[in-house]
Amino acid sequence: MSNGIPTAPFDQWIEAMKLPKEAVVPQDLKKMKRFTEVVTTESEPQVGQTPKEVIWTKNKAKLYHYAPHTKKTNKVPILFIYALINRAYILDLYPGNSLIEYLVNDGHDVYLLDWGTAGHEDRHMKLDDYIVDYIPRAAKKVLKDADAKELTIYGYCMGGTMSTIFTSLYNDILPIKNLVLMTSPIDFEDAGLYTNWLNKNTFQLDKMVDTLGNIPFEMIDYGNRLLSPISNSVGTYVGLASRIENDNAVLTWKLMQKWLNDGVPFPGEAYRQWIRDFYQDNKLVKGELAVRGQEVKLSNIKANLLNICATRDNIVQPDQIKALNEQVSSKVNTLHEVPTGHVSVCTGRYAQKEIYPYVSKWLKDHSK
Amino acid sequence: MTNQPFDAFGIWKEMYDRTESAFRDSIQSTLEQPAFAEGLGQVQKQYLQYQGLVNGMTEAYLKQVNVPTRDEIASIASLVINVESKLIDLEDQLDVQDEVSDTQAKEIKQLKTTVNRLDKKLDTVIELLTKQLEAAATPAAPQKPATPAPNAQVKTVATPAAKNTPQAKK
Repeated sequence: MSNGIPTAPFDQWIEAMKLPKEAVVPQDLKKMKRFTEVVTTESEPQVGQTPKEVIWTKNKAKLYHYAPHTKKTNKVPILFIYALINRAYILDLYPGNSLIEYLVNDGHDVYLLDWGTAGHEDRHMKLDDYIVDYIPRAAKKVLKDADAKELTIYGYCMGGTMSTIFTSLYNDILPIKNLVLMTSPIDFEDAGLYTNWLNKNTFQLDKMVDTLGNIPFEMIDYGNRLLSPISNSVGTYVGLASRIENDNAVLTWKLMQKWLNDGVPFPGEAYRQWIRDFYQDNKLVKGELAVRGQEVKLSNIKANLLNICATRDNIVQPDQIKALNEQVSSKVNTLHEVPTGHVSVCTGRYAQKEIYPYVSKWLKDHSK
Repeated sequence: MTNQPFDAFGIWKEMYDRTESAFRDSIQSTLEQPAFAEGLGQVQKQYLQYQGLVNGMTEAYLKQVNVPTRDEIASIASLVINVESKLIDLEDQLDVQDEVSDTQAKEIKQLKTTVNRLDKKLDTVIELLTKQLEAAATPAAPQKPATPAPNAQVKTVATPAAKNTPQAKK
């Protein structure tokens, strides 16, 4: 305490150091104080602010309908399918920096299937269960709720891979007009460093699933951070320090840190299937994948396809994405390359200026 | 000496940039080595061995002190999820029934409209027939009294046919 006013721990620490006055540069001190506040005490920003309502639930999954009172000019509703890794609010991160908000404001009718947080009781859930028991039901609910004759399926990352499998199985059963994918891996022949690390000889897949049940988020996050260890650890904080006086940059940093550290456990059996059938055996692109006994043929996909590939993505290699365009039977078959990373494809300045308007226009053009 | 203020963050960034660029390639090539993957596998194996042991001991302890284990609680949650799944199945069936009854209601409505149209057509046909009959009866009307005798009409109708009777031929 000084003059009866409580001082922050940082000030107390500086006082305790008893540094000579000439050694303390006020500007540096101000920056350091702000840096300490951001990293330690400041509250996290509020995410997922676009108004929404839950229209259906199953187990932990929730189907959201965004801004149901906004006037819709595009009659074909969009159903977002998210991955089983991390949280879905990256698609609606912050006002002005949200793909969903942009699409809603541009007259699209938007729905999101959020898988929620898997519990220990969900460790036996397979990808088959999510693809056959959840997505088709959610799609029917969307069609009924929107009173629509057709819908768009929009998948991000692993959610895109699941959307692709779903579309190949249900393209003749449900009226799927468009399939939009963002950084979704299809061909796992060369998945970069993951191919080395997840190989059958060294990776303890069965022992991991049998011992842990669900795979903890921290384990998956550790693998992702290991792709670029220095920039994902020290680099993050250096980046913050160099832009500490820019409030917008600090907000973006806090949003990204919140999302990156806010993961969910991966359901055990789904993880076993994801690593074995996709990363180790590459069954999808070879046409060897079966879901509940049904063969998954990518050539069954006839819906209009927009496949967005991020050229600076180090989690999903561009070649893993492009393979889909060569195998589908879609008459409209678009591969759109963007100079972003895996996450900056849906958040950040480039995404706001270039990707959101492109996607919205493409959807409008192909929803007539 | 310059009068430029000491920038601690600037120095930190400079140090980081130089270190990162110097070590990036060597770290990257280490991460790509098969030996690194083997090392990761070994670490996983040991961690999982330890975790398995902890899980087993915790479970045994919880059973000893009559406290439900994580698996037991999860199995109750699974039962709840199963009940929910059955409810969702029922909801789906109700949705299908709703759709069927909606379709049936539409078909019944269409049927009603069709029957109404037929009814109207029949009315028109009957009306036309009546008019035709009346028209057929009309030519004799001026020569006959206003209320013709019943046999008079029979006579009029019978007249053309009489030509073909055997008696007429004779």
